Amino acid sequence: MNAPTPADGWRRVHPVTPFVRGWAVLAAVLIIGGQQVVEDLPNVGRVAGTVQGVWWQALLGLVLFALVVFGYAAVAWRMTTYAVDDDAVHLRKGVVFRQQRHARLDRLQAVDIRQPLLARVFGLAELTLEVAGGSGSAVAIGFLKESDAQLLRADLLARAAGVKARRSASTPTVVTGPIPMAPGDPGAVPAAEGAADLVETLPPVAPEQPVYDVPPGRLLLSLVRSPAVWILVAVLVAVGVAVVTTRNLGIVASALPAVVGAGGYLFQRFAGEFGFRAAVSPDGIRLRHGLLETRAQTIPPGRVQAVSLAQGPFWRGPDWWRVKVNVAGYQSADGSQSQNILLPVGPRDEALAALWLVLPDLGTDEPRELLEEALAGDARTDRWFTTSPQRARLLDPLTWRRNGFAVTERALLVRSGRVVRSLVVVPHERTQSLGLAQGPWERRRGLVSFSLHSTAGPVRPVAYHLDADDAARLLDEQAVRARSARAHATPERWMEHVAEAVLPEDPR
Amino acid sequence: MTSEPVSESGPFDPPGVAWQRVSPRLITARLVSAGITLAVPLVVVVVLALLVSPWLWVVAAVPAAILVWVGIVVPRQVRAIGYAERDDDLLIRRGILFRSLVVVPYGRMQYVDVEAGPLDRRLGIAKVQLHTASASTDANIPGLVPDEAERLRDRLTVRGEARLAGL
Repeated sequence: MNAPTPADGWRRVHPVTPFVRGWAVLAAVLIIGGQQVVEDLPNVGRVAGTVQGVWWQALLGLVLFALVVFGYAAVAWRMTTYAVDDDAVHLRKGVVFRQQRHARLDRLQAVDIRQPLLARVFGLAELTLEVAGGSGSAVAIGFLKESDAQLLRADLLARAAGVKARRSASTPTVVTGPIPMAPGDPGAVPAAEGAADLVETLPPVAPEQPVYDVPPGRLLLSLVRSPAVWILVAVLVAVGVAVVTTRNLGIVASALPAVVGAGGYLFQRFAGEFGFRAAVSPDGIRLRHGLLETRAQTIPPGRVQAVSLAQGPFWRGPDWWRVKVNVAGYQSADGSQSQNILLPVGPRDEALAALWLVLPDLGTDEPRELLEEALAGDARTDRWFTTSPQRARLLDPLTWRRNGFAVTERALLVRSGRVVRSLVVVPHERTQSLGLAQGPWERRRGLVSFSLHSTAGPVRPVAYHLDADDAARLLDEQAVRARSARAHATPERWMEHVAEAVLPEDPR
Repeated sequence: MTSEPVSESGPFDPPGVAWQRVSPRLITARLVSAGITLAVPLVVVVVLALLVSPWLWVVAAVPAAILVWVGIVVPRQVRAIGYAERDDDLLIRRGILFRSLVVVPYGRMQYVDVEAGPLDRRLGIAKVQLHTASASTDANIPGLVPDEAERLRDRLTVRGEARLAGL
């Protein structure tokens, strides 16, 4: 493929990359091997006996395998180059199958800086661009030196925003920028310095203002209050009782995969959401989290497609909420849920602050009252929400008073759930398509379920069992509202349109 | 391709919408494919019943009953499929027992597929599939005459370009 070479020329990623990648492959192989051993526990003794005789052969095999892995990674490093110009990011990679990828910057949905544990040791980071092209369309540039990755991110976001840097042709590398922000201290960036540099060669790292963080204690406590822990405890107790009564230790081995699985899930959640911090900057929402592998996400303004706030029964006491978002491109690459989290656990005020990050203006005069009703209210006290009629009681004995929707000038709010309370907010301009559905039971009672289709992600806005007339009206009006909202939506290059996107005041 | 308003009201029939029906040849296509899938187990069980035990006739009754049911339901289902082009969006509705209606704004369409399998080609029908950025948008119109499918595809593409917005 002979694509026009960007003016900057092609750059290579950091030379330590093959080493980091190679170790990742080796570790994966060892972990898979280890899992096989764990699952096959009873036979291990016999197998170990056979292995003992040929241990040096096994070791030699392992060394050869490592050589192949590292050799391949080194060749792959040689073949990986990237370049950036005003419209797109170009990435060339692949040893046997060459691949060249262009990611258009006006389609940029989010930029992540990912640091696996080993990369952190070397001070390296991988930059991932999400461009909403479906599964596997993300462009991952890695590994880079951490400071380079941050400068590249600032550069990409500025270009995507339409702040065209006046770059002289002789500055291909990003070394002359302002001091990069250390990941450990948000808000430590000298904002004034950054603003002054704007007309210089490179756009600065945008200043940011922290909004909330999640202390590890609260995260731990929230996990203790989650059903997964109780299931795990119940399984352990059951196994203990079974072992004591039957005096058969084989039960422990057979229960091990389940325990490892549940424990793994809990640990993954803890590690993925550890040290969660959110900040706001003109570039968009900044999220940082991770215990072993850290991830710093930047979601530009208007890229969040839908937000959900949810509260399980055990979180009712401290009034904790969990906030998730749909962002096009997320969850398609590696399926890690922690990308879609806007707030892992936090009191109501923080949850509302998280919502405010996405949607600063809810399009109503009394946002606080509306949201109180959306989070905790039901049909008996409703002022804004339209809920299921009483006919739905038979289909929804618990939640019929909660299920409902409310419409403001800017967004559609869908409320549901009584035991697990949930609220979904979708800005009108982010509506993809709308649907109605009705089964035989609903038909008999004159009910219709309304669904709003958002991009792939954990948030699925559906209002169940609405009155047929309400649903028909909602469908009709929502189509019109979505259309007019789109007509006024911020353009893809958000900075060309607004200069006032700087820090709004605190929501509280 | 008749363009008669279906006499029905309610949320699945917004006022002022003239529904387009799909080709009745879709009935044949669906019946043939259902027939082939069900005929194989039916023949096997019938042969076994003749050779082994008359009790197996009971088992043979299951695919036979399904076949009869399909023969009754499919024509009605196909007749229930309708689509309508409005100024700014496309409506697709389907189903009798489980009904659904989808509204896809033209500006939200990312791309349009036209598909036709060997049986479809033989019968002269095609399926138009609309894709938005949402995976949950289930918007397809089966059983279109190829000319209509092409016209619809081109029309949707043109309208989509005119109204295209970001995500």
